[in-house]
Amino acid sequence: MIQATSAGGLQVPLWRAIVVYRFASLAFALALIVSNVGDYRRPLAAIPVAVVLIGWTVAASWLYARPQRRRWPLLIADLAVTAAVLLSAEWVIGRDALGSGTPGLAVAWLAAPVLAWAVAGGRRLGVVAALLIGVADLAVRPRLSQSSLTGTTLMLLAAVGVGHVARLGAIAEARLQRATELEAANRERERLARDIHDSVLQVLALVRRRGAHLDGEAGELARLAGEQEAALRRLIATGAPPPSATGVVDLGALVSAYASDVVSVAAPATAVPLPAEVATQVVAAVGAALDNAARHAGATARVFVLVEDEPESVTVTVRDDGAGIAPGRLAAAELEGRLGVAQAIRGRVTDLGGTVRIQSAPGQGTEIELVVPKLHP
Amino acid sequence: MTVRVMVVDDHPMWRTGVARDLAEAGYEVVATTGEGRQAVRIAGATRPDVVVLDLQLPDVPGVEVIHGLRAALPEVKVLMLSASGEQQSVLDAVKAGATGYLVKSAAPEEFLAAVARTAAGEAVFTPGLAGLVLGEYRRLAAAPEPADAGAPALTDRETEVLRLVAKGLSYKQIAERLGVSHRTVQNHVQNTLGKLQLHNRVELTRYAIEQGLD
Repeated sequence: MIQATSAGGLQVPLWRAIVVYRFASLAFALALIVSNVGDYRRPLAAIPVAVVLIGWTVAASWLYARPQRRRWPLLIADLAVTAAVLLSAEWVIGRDALGSGTPGLAVAWLAAPVLAWAVAGGRRLGVVAALLIGVADLAVRPRLSQSSLTGTTLMLLAAVGVGHVARLGAIAEARLQRATELEAANRERERLARDIHDSVLQVLALVRRRGAHLDGEAGELARLAGEQEAALRRLIATGAPPPSATGVVDLGALVSAYASDVVSVAAPATAVPLPAEVATQVVAAVGAALDNAARHAGATARVFVLVEDEPESVTVTVRDDGAGIAPGRLAAAELEGRLGVAQAIRGRVTDLGGTVRIQSAPGQGTEIELVVPKLHP
Repeated sequence: MTVRVMVVDDHPMWRTGVARDLAEAGYEVVATTGEGRQAVRIAGATRPDVVVLDLQLPDVPGVEVIHGLRAALPEVKVLMLSASGEQQSVLDAVKAGATGYLVKSAAPEEFLAAVARTAAGEAVFTPGLAGLVLGEYRRLAAAPEPADAGAPALTDRETEVLRLVAKGLSYKQIAERLGVSHRTVQNHVQNTLGKLQLHNRVELTRYAIEQGLD
């Protein structure tokens, strides 16, 4: 409830304003005491009350200055001192004088703890303090007058208003903090990416380069270094951009995500725009073609993907340099269902109004070409 | 006569490794540096035939280094190395006059072969670079202002060759498939680059004249 721990950049001006208020209302209260002291039942007793007023104004201003002190003990003490000053009016001024219109001892000064409660704990605590002080103020009056009720009402409204502002300040501050943290995290990520690129990646590339021609364990280590290099590169690369508001995505960027040690992706430098749902199907078809290549082309085969942006269509070619299939065998294999993956590719691309061409020759690898028309709305 | 090579890469370990490979293969490594500005500064004095250039340098963009190198040494050949995923900068570098491109993860023998071909004046294409060049020609062709009569276009045969390079076929395989000589394939590839670089120079000049900088 009490956000006293928040050292609160945005709450600082509020606490300062309360200090100003304390001193201003102290001056007002002292002036009233001096001008009205003749009507008091015990005029001399006004001196210790004035001392308490001055003393607590200074003490409270000093105590509230440190955020870690703005907790229950101080808040309760603040309220108790104020209530005591209020209640002492009955003894110092006397009920008769109070009843005939002599102002109380604290006057506007009594609102200071209410403001403090409102800033520390928001609207609800502010209202609680306002009610407590209001009750104490009314208790010393012989009868309810309009002016004393007005004072309590003003105090309640002030508590609600100030509490609200304090809460808004706390929320705004929390948001600001979150935004700052996010930005810091982002910057840290970019710094890491730069560092990794400048150090780890270079060393991994070097290890792989130095050991590529070695046999046995050293060669294996070099290969592993190469794999990690590729994985790290993918990790620190900023991912494919999210679809724009119009639902158009860059097919080139999406397909480029398949690039790896064995898969080379060639695409235009500029975006290849396609509707997101079409691109999703094409990317899935390319994935299936890559699976097919990985399964049938042989372990040492490399795969090349080419994305082309033509005026009326988009062409994606997936070619492996593996064993390939003899001309007659291709149709037969497809009929036998051995090219099940190819069937899946055909299904997807045909649904988009496109065509699939599969070309293969022994020793020349297999080439799967997907042509998808651009739909002009 | 030995081929003089300068290595420009901001990573010292990599630089040393590459320089050693080159020296072992019989090249004369005339300079190594990690900064683009310095590379341009010392190019005139060290007169390398080939510059092996990392596109990602800390001080200046690779394109500017290439412009600077070619201004100091018009005949210099630039083989650029880069990590993956910088497609636009690779394309810009090629348009600025680099004639070869290799990803940093290429094997040492691949790298040495690329340096040899660059030194011999041949274009060194990866499938990725072929895809970029192909895409650039298509972009120029689809540009909304056909008024740009100077925009280069590929012949059908050049398009065919570039597509095959982008699909990972070697020049030898392409020559077999098309029934032409290895040399012809090489010329076609070379031409696609040459037209793009010429167009880039014309564009730069036109821009300079338009801006009153001539």
